[in-house]
Amino acid sequence: MISVEGVSRGYDDGARGTVRVLDGVKLEVAKGEFVAIVGRSGTGKSTLLHVLGGLDTGFTGEVTVAGTKLSKLKDGALSRFRNESVGFVFQSFHLVQGLSALENVMLPAAFAAGEGGGEAQAREALTRVGLGDKALRLPSQLSGGERQRVAIARALFNRPQVLLCDEPTGNLDAQTADEVIALFKSLNAQGLTIIAVTHEDRLREAAGRVVSLTDGRLST
Amino acid sequence: MKRAALRKLVRLQLSRDRRGAFSSSFGIAIGVASLVFFVALGLGVGRVVREKIFPVDTRLVDVVPSQLAIGLFGGKLDQDAVDRLARLPGVQRAYRKMNVRVPAVSFYDGDFFGRRLRMGIEVLAVGVDPDFVRADVQLGDFSDPGVGKPIPVVAASRLIEIYNKSFAPARSLPQLSATMLVGFSFPVDWNRSFVASVAPGKVTSSQLQVVGVSDRGLLAGVTVPLAVAVRLNQEANVDAATFTGVALQAASPSDIPAIVAAVKDMGLRIDDQERRMSENAGAAVAITTSAMALLSALICLLAAFNIAHALSAAVRARERELGVMRAVGASRADIFRLVLAEAVVLGLGGGLLGTITAILAALGVDMLAGHVLPEFPFKPDTFFLVPAWLPLLGVALGVLAAVAGAWLPARRASRIDPARVLAGQGA
Repeated sequence: MISVEGVSRGYDDGARGTVRVLDGVKLEVAKGEFVAIVGRSGTGKSTLLHVLGGLDTGFTGEVTVAGTKLSKLKDGALSRFRNESVGFVFQSFHLVQGLSALENVMLPAAFAAGEGGGEAQAREALTRVGLGDKALRLPSQLSGGERQRVAIARALFNRPQVLLCDEPTGNLDAQTADEVIALFKSLNAQGLTIIAVTHEDRLREAAGRVVSLTDGRLST
Repeated sequence: MKRAALRKLVRLQLSRDRRGAFSSSFGIAIGVASLVFFVALGLGVGRVVREKIFPVDTRLVDVVPSQLAIGLFGGKLDQDAVDRLARLPGVQRAYRKMNVRVPAVSFYDGDFFGRRLRMGIEVLAVGVDPDFVRADVQLGDFSDPGVGKPIPVVAASRLIEIYNKSFAPARSLPQLSATMLVGFSFPVDWNRSFVASVAPGKVTSSQLQVVGVSDRGLLAGVTVPLAVAVRLNQEANVDAATFTGVALQAASPSDIPAIVAAVKDMGLRIDDQERRMSENAGAAVAITTSAMALLSALICLLAAFNIAHALSAAVRARERELGVMRAVGASRADIFRLVLAEAVVLGLGGGLLGTITAILAALGVDMLAGHVLPEFPFKPDTFFLVPAWLPLLGVALGVLAAVAGAWLPARRASRIDPARVLAGQGA
């Protein structure tokens, strides 16, 4: 499902020159796997996740996700890849204020190349995360856990092959975090491939495989 | 990007910052209102100049004899010269004109449209080929009726305007219209003058009857059939063989330059005094209008800067939201279009508001002018001309200014690095 081969990524850090965040990273993830990426802050976990999701294109090496070679894609094709093949879940939820839960979930449909999913598909995604009855609420009318579940529903809306989660429980209390982790396990059990960057022990324990990123290199 | 989603996202963003949106649209509205108002004013005043004050026919060239003409060396405007002029390439018709070279006065003592009028006035007359004014003749045949019968004359429409707006009010005389004037007769004594010396011959009297009103009529006098002018000149033993002028009608306005050149080659002059006055007045109006339009364009430019500033701030504030859109599949072009669409709505709103304001202001000015300004010659019913393209231009300018202002912020928005802003490092 995912193949990462010799991926490096550096940033220009002014006087310090180029800082290498990823250094020849290799990773293989099979379809239906639940992988947790751990490591200290600033070790490049989020960068790796962004590379996998086609958000970060400044890398060298080969990345193939769901049969798509990302290094060769231009902006339009990369956007389509993000729209159709992957779903993102962020620590800060990143919902659009002013849009209802349902409209937030349907946001990917706005940028779909074809017809995209409709309202029924969005309601189905909300039901899947347990928010079927709160579809018309605004983000400001939802709790933190509910917002994160809306964000997960948005990530699931276009039925992606891979779910990429960046510290998905980082802003949640313990009980809500447990609910979200349970949701991830349930989704994974249904065959969804999940890669989660986390500091959270419980999420790490929920994952089938844990890889550690240290000094820009992955180790199992 | 789906149109329905685009509409929703644009509406959402504009409703979040209503004050900013109103401020941006208002700036554009002022610029557009100013432009539409002044262009409409310029067009309206220009129309008055062109159609009422100096009604110039763009296909006519007035030829007059050269002041330096000597005998056979050209410059004399006799029938032979007229025939040659009529044969010039591009000339469709040649209308001869001959002044009545005999002085004349009119003593009027009688009823003048319900008022008693006693007046003595010097009369100037020019004879023209009947076809020159035939379209404006409303009574009888515009030809020489023969000795002792009323002579048909055509009055100048501008003369009636000047009479109605200045002479009639000053003397408490009735207002006249072209229809009223047709059929009116008044006496004339030929070979008589208050100011000029007269020929040794006798004084003859006849009646002049107004048979029409025309833009082509002599402004400070009356226009009679050419045959009448020839007859009167012959009776007074003055020149009845050469013409005062010839009006050449070109097949097309584009033929005029070549005709003018050929006329000059013949040693004749072009009387373009009226045309030049019209052009000068038109140019003055055009320059003033252009200056005001430029000022309006500058206001629109300032409005564009205002929009650029407002949208830049809005894009900075929405970096994460735009980053999320990129994460869920928006391309750079989608984000660019989204910000530009917001500007189009602002421009459309400002353009419409400005255009409507300008048209209402024009109606207000016309209404005010009708009540406040005194009557004067050529005072129009409206000072404004709003052709269909002008409101469209106003709205288009509003949209253009908004899009121009939004271009850089939209570009900046499309280049937001989603990885940076979603990692929490964005501003």
